[in-house]
Amino acid sequence: MITLTDFLLVGALLFCTGMYMIVSKRNSIQVLIGIELMLNAAILNLVAFGKYDKLNNGGQVFALFAIVLAAATTAVALAIILNVYRRYKTIDPDEIKNLRD
Amino acid sequence: MSSLLPYTDTIISYTIAAVALPLVASLINFCLPVKSKLAGWVSTLAILLGCVFSAMVFAAVWDQQPQHVQTMWFTIGTTKIFAGILLNNLSVMMLLLVSLIALPVHIYSTAYMKYDDRYSRYFTYLSFFCFSMLGLVVVDSLVLFYAFWELVGFSSYLLIGFWFTKDKAVQANKKAFIMNRIGDIGLLSAIIILFAKFHTFDIATLFISDNLVFKSVIHDGLWISASGQIPAVWQYVACIGVFMAVAAKSAQFPLHTWLPDAMEGPTSVSALIHAATMVAAGVFLLGRVYPLFTDSELTVLAVIGCFTAFMAATIALTQNDLKRVLAYSTISQLGYMILAMGVGAYGSSLFHLATHAFFKCLLFLVAGVVIHEMQHIKEENDLDIDPQNIQYMGGLRKKLPLTFIVAVVGSLALIGIPLTSGYLSKDGILIQAFEWSEGRSAWLKLIPAGALFTSWLTAFYVSRLIVKVFFGEFRLLKKYPEIKLHISDGGWQYRVPLILLAVCSLFPLFSLNPFFYEKAWLFESLKPAEFMARENIYHTIIPIGVNILSVFVIYAAYAIYVKQNTFSFPQTGFFYRLSYNQWYLDKIYRKAIVKPILGLGKTCFWFDRNVIDGLIHLIERTSRMVASLTAWSDKHIVDGFLHLMAALVQSIGNFARKFQNGKVQYYLYSMLLIVLVLFILKILI
Repeated sequence: MITLTDFLLVGALLFCTGMYMIVSKRNSIQVLIGIELMLNAAILNLVAFGKYDKLNNGGQVFALFAIVLAAATTAVALAIILNVYRRYKTIDPDEIKNLRD
Repeated sequence: MSSLLPYTDTIISYTIAAVALPLVASLINFCLPVKSKLAGWVSTLAILLGCVFSAMVFAAVWDQQPQHVQTMWFTIGTTKIFAGILLNNLSVMMLLLVSLIALPVHIYSTAYMKYDDRYSRYFTYLSFFCFSMLGLVVVDSLVLFYAFWELVGFSSYLLIGFWFTKDKAVQANKKAFIMNRIGDIGLLSAIIILFAKFHTFDIATLFISDNLVFKSVIHDGLWISASGQIPAVWQYVACIGVFMAVAAKSAQFPLHTWLPDAMEGPTSVSALIHAATMVAAGVFLLGRVYPLFTDSELTVLAVIGCFTAFMAATIALTQNDLKRVLAYSTISQLGYMILAMGVGAYGSSLFHLATHAFFKCLLFLVAGVVIHEMQHIKEENDLDIDPQNIQYMGGLRKKLPLTFIVAVVGSLALIGIPLTSGYLSKDGILIQAFEWSEGRSAWLKLIPAGALFTSWLTAFYVSRLIVKVFFGEFRLLKKYPEIKLHISDGGWQYRVPLILLAVCSLFPLFSLNPFFYEKAWLFESLKPAEFMARENIYHTIIPIGVNILSVFVIYAAYAIYVKQNTFSFPQTGFFYRLSYNQWYLDKIYRKAIVKPILGLGKTCFWFDRNVIDGLIHLIERTSRMVASLTAWSDKHIVDGFLHLMAALVQSIGNFARKFQNGKVQYYLYSMLLIVLVLFILKILI
């Protein structure tokens, strides 16, 4: 049967994949996808740990909240990416260095 | 304020006028152009007026109560120093004498220096000398006396070196000045000792009215007076100091060697300063401080005076320079004066000073005329001769008749032939010397004998001089037969002073009785109270003996040098060389004193150069080394540390900066790394 550890392993794998995508991709959209993967890893953990709260289903509820929040942040992030593209004509994060000192 | 006679103030103001007029003349001449002929007349007028004033002062004070006025000069603590004028027989005699001698010399100089390029400078110096000398004789304070003493030496220095382009003149005035400095040190120490002992500089208090010095006694090695007692050695030091001053100024052995060299100055200067007045300042000083000397110290004075007289006379025998012969004769006569002071013949000494001033000044002026004419011949015929060398002269009595006559008068006075003033004064000294030696040891009997012998030597060298210059044939003409002669006695500026001085060299000025020196009015006023009358044989035998032999000596000189028919002296013997080389004293001084001093100077120079400078250089080098070491450590250690810190901070900063490259992903990556590291550390620790 599928144990809690299996869920956590999948979550960690997802998280690492997302992390890897964030730090290595040359496209802001793919970075955004990486963020989504990491969020989903967190949500997976919430659902997996939900088995300790069968009375209120707190895990599942918070997972739903997080999904909604993720959708909202994705929308905001896409808007930012769109503005960045308008301004710099690129969405490669390496090319946008205005944050440096 | 010893005296309050009604005319005191007039007399004092006359004295001040007599002293100050030459100073005024000197200042005026100093402002005149260098060649201005006015200068001579300014100076002469000043000295003429001074002469009149001096005569009035003399008439009022001579044989009267001494006049003494003084005013407070300054105070140091509670010690009051007074300055003023002291007129007694001694000072008024000197006052009149100096003015009287200076007047003909001034007149003479107006002609003698006529063609000199620095005519007005000459009179500036001459008037300044007169001021110094007149001031010297009238002041009453030893401090002022010392000041004028120095001024006299200084003006003498200026005048000896008047022709400073001649190297010999420069050497001569240097020598005179250094010799005089030695004496000045003596005088200064004597003054300091007297002040330490008696707490006053006042000559009147010390030597005349209170006569503190005379009242002090030497007992058991202590010098005792009312004001306390100090070791007796200080009395000896003071006497030696005074003697040194006298010896330097009055050219006594061993400090006499400057005087013959001083003849490098103009002849008129030699006549006034180095024959008549300045050199008498030493004798005058002795007269002022006479009570200071004890019996034994006076004996030493007599010995030195006698030796100087004898030595100078022997040197004068062989000299060929006209002025040098006269210079040595001056030294010899000054020796007589010191001798007279030493044997207690105070009056005779000053009497001889006065008479000697006239006839020696006369002889120098004669020498001036002769040298002037010789120089004239030399320049006219373009000869290479020394115009002062008597070997070239001879037979000048026909060319210069007036000069010849006055020269004979002066020479007879110098020899001491009756009817001249020199006879009166010199025989006085000889007689009193013989009286003094009675009852003393055989050695001291040599002193009058030496003086007597010296008077015959004097007769010989003076005759030799006169004969060589005025008699016989003109040797220059023999040597250069083709030369032309245009010489004469000169104008009235030459004639008047010569005649004036010649008259003053005869007996009537000093005594109506030409044979007995005791009757001379000058002597009668100056002689000591306990003077012996004509009671012993010396008074008759000495004048007769001296004069008969002198006449023989004069004839002998005439025979040797004019007729050439008797023997002539060998010019190679030891005595000839001793005399001709002036007893080798200059050479001895050069070897014994000048050379060691120069050597000392060189050693000091070497020491300064090598040791002191070396030390300083060593310190300098050490400092520089320390400094460079400090600089190095500053640059490399202190600065290096700072640079290291700066570099460290910079590298840390640069390292930190690398993370701030503006790449969002990089930031995240770094953050991840740090979190990971933290976790790993957490696990490990």
